[in-house]
Amino acid sequence: MLDLQGYGPSIIEGTVLTINVSLTSLLIATALGVSGALAKLSKSRFLRFVAGLYTTVIRGIPDLVLMLLVFYGGQMLVNQVAYSVGYEDYIDINPYIAGVLTIGFIFGAYMAETFRGAILAVPGGQLEAGAAYGMSPLQVIVRVLLPQMVRHAIPGFGNNWLVLTKATALVSIIGLDDMVRKATLASGATRMPFTFYSVVAVNYLLVTTISIYLLQWLERKYSLGVRKD
Amino acid sequence: MRKIVIFMAFALIFAAGTVQAKEWKKVRVAIEGAYPPFSAVTPEGELVGFDVDIAVALVEAMGAEPVLVTQAWDGMIPGLKARKYDTIIASMSITEERLKTVDFSNKYYQTPAKFMVKKGLIPVFSVDALKGKKVGVQRETVHDKYLTAVYGKDVKIVRFGSLDEAFLDVKAGRIDIVMADSIALIDGFLNADEDGKNYEFVGPDMIDPAIFGPGIGAAVRKQDTDLKEKLNAAIVKIRENGTYKKIQDKYFDFDVYGD
Repeated sequence: MLDLQGYGPSIIEGTVLTINVSLTSLLIATALGVSGALAKLSKSRFLRFVAGLYTTVIRGIPDLVLMLLVFYGGQMLVNQVAYSVGYEDYIDINPYIAGVLTIGFIFGAYMAETFRGAILAVPGGQLEAGAAYGMSPLQVIVRVLLPQMVRHAIPGFGNNWLVLTKATALVSIIGLDDMVRKATLASGATRMPFTFYSVVAVNYLLVTTISIYLLQWLERKYSLGVRKD
Repeated sequence: MRKIVIFMAFALIFAAGTVQAKEWKKVRVAIEGAYPPFSAVTPEGELVGFDVDIAVALVEAMGAEPVLVTQAWDGMIPGLKARKYDTIIASMSITEERLKTVDFSNKYYQTPAKFMVKKGLIPVFSVDALKGKKVGVQRETVHDKYLTAVYGKDVKIVRFGSLDEAFLDVKAGRIDIVMADSIALIDGFLNADEDGKNYEFVGPDMIDPAIFGPGIGAAVRKQDTDLKEKLNAAIVKIRENGTYKKIQDKYFDFDVYGD
């Protein structure tokens, strides 16, 4: 049997944190993604520009670089601002908040592109019909557009989710004790890196496999009533 | 007014704890946590090791309260500069390159290089006893440089790509001696190999700052010269009052300070 030398509970703790960071980031990414996609398709030139800038810049920078920029750069900036208004202590960016915000921010850009494609896949006549019934633009989005785009968005969304889950391994560098960091600590103390990193690999695989099945179920659910050609 | 509002907003979002920076009542120390015996985390999540004990001893000798922060090695120096902690006590070598971005206290340890031989091969160490012996060393390292410079004409130097190869050859009898950093020898062979108990250190602690560098120090931000001075004073203090020796003896059976 696998002997984790007493480090099992700490690895479980790390796994819980990894899942927590993933889900929270996903929430932020989805919110940003929907807003980004709507902005990209909006009539306002300004909104289109902002959303275009966001998806272009963020998707073009490595996750790790962005994370370090937000975490360290952000903290330096905050402290500089605080110092210049006469605050002599320092302000500490909570690594959890920094990690979740950064990952959410990064994957929001990918989500925006996914959702944009999904929105475009909804026939324009559907929206026009909504408007013809006297719905306000917001009602058209919530009642007609979003429910129908979900079906088209799920494959891309699922892909982003898998990549996002694995990207959370980066938070170990900014001081969050996720399962990768816990494994590093445990393998340092026990000199059994292979064992601990294997456990981490299996844990990731478990999370992603379960996700894949959930997503397949969701896809079926949202495809009810759609003819399969 | 507006500035204050913006600042309050930042503070609300990001503040997780604040400590005064000026009087050094609390000193936040970054520890690596995965480099035994210098730092490691127990299954209960407790930090232990030489670096940990030294960090606590140094900060207490300054009359301050130590706050230990574990930090992965990769983000060590950026975290210091971003003021996530005030000093790094994590077996960090003082190097020219690091001195460009951060400042260091004086060394708090410097593990010596040692000769390792099969027990009994060299009962009494002298340069004469080394004559004609084959000494294995890792190629292109400071140890190679030192061995070549000091013992080059007395011994036959055999250079290896990695220490592990040298260990294999000393076990096979193709070389007589391995010369390397004492901790690398202990962790890599004496305590790690099944044959390790049949080998021992002989000869002097080899330390030459000109070749091996100034040692391991506590890193601080460049502007915190007052903290650096306090750390230097604390190192002297714990060296003198015996705290250092007590901590050293807990982990090592030789002098790690390296005078």
